[in-house]
Amino acid sequence: MTALKTALTGYMGYRGREGHWSFLLHRLTGLGTLLFLTIHILDTATVYFFPELYSHAIALYRTTLLGLGEIGLVFAVIFHGVNGLRIALFDLVFPKSWDIPTHRVSAIWTLAISLVLFIPAAVVMLRNILIHNYGLFGG
Amino acid sequence: MTTAPSPTPAVSPAHEPRGVREVERHPNVENVAWRWMRYSALLLIPLAWGHVLLQDVLVGVHQIDLDYVAMRWASLGWRVYDTLLLAFAFAHGMNGLRQVLDEYLRTPTARRLMSWGLFVVWLVISLIGAAAIIGGVRAAA
Repeated sequence: MTALKTALTGYMGYRGREGHWSFLLHRLTGLGTLLFLTIHILDTATVYFFPELYSHAIALYRTTLLGLGEIGLVFAVIFHGVNGLRIALFDLVFPKSWDIPTHRVSAIWTLAISLVLFIPAAVVMLRNILIHNYGLFGG
Repeated sequence: MTTAPSPTPAVSPAHEPRGVREVERHPNVENVAWRWMRYSALLLIPLAWGHVLLQDVLVGVHQIDLDYVAMRWASLGWRVYDTLLLAFAFAHGMNGLRQVLDEYLRTPTARRLMSWGLFVVWLVISLIGAAAIIGGVRAAA
């Protein structure tokens, strides 16, 4: 537990700018996606093991709260993917370019590309929630 | 995070050029895991993004039910796709969790217990998922 406390206070106090923030976001989006993935494998497995339960799981995912969570999940998957590509690119192809200025610029680009991919998806998903849960846009 | 766990340098040639030292590498388990996190990442870009784009954005959870899953899994191609996604995404995620927890555990015993615990969880949940993909949708009672 001491190690965990040291790590968590270190995460808050360390001022490593772009590198620090992309490290934290990568970790958070990765762990968040894994949490969802674990639940998702099990809820999908009900189609075979307990088919009468599947509609209950889907009904939960259709609520506004989990719908907003789903939008967060899509951001997590997009950011973790773009940032993962950045890490793989530098590690496997340009290992000599792991310097702080390049790291900073590429971290900003990663966030920008992630937002460009995320925003249209978020608009479509938000619209789906408004259509199905609030009867807007002719829903 | 981005530095490969360095393997033990085994051989250093006597007649090496100054500045650059070529070292023969004997990759250990951690080196292989480190590389595979990157290889599986490249595979997961099309697999996971394709899945999210299709199911969460284009189709949407309001159109998904037992019939939809049955319709999708009627094609062998989608079953193969979902099997690959299950295998690579969950292994990538669980190995990532192992790497994170490794930083918080101090003793080799704790790390070994955690690694084996995660391995068992990974195996059981992967098998449950695989059983569902192979078994397919059963009619609700």
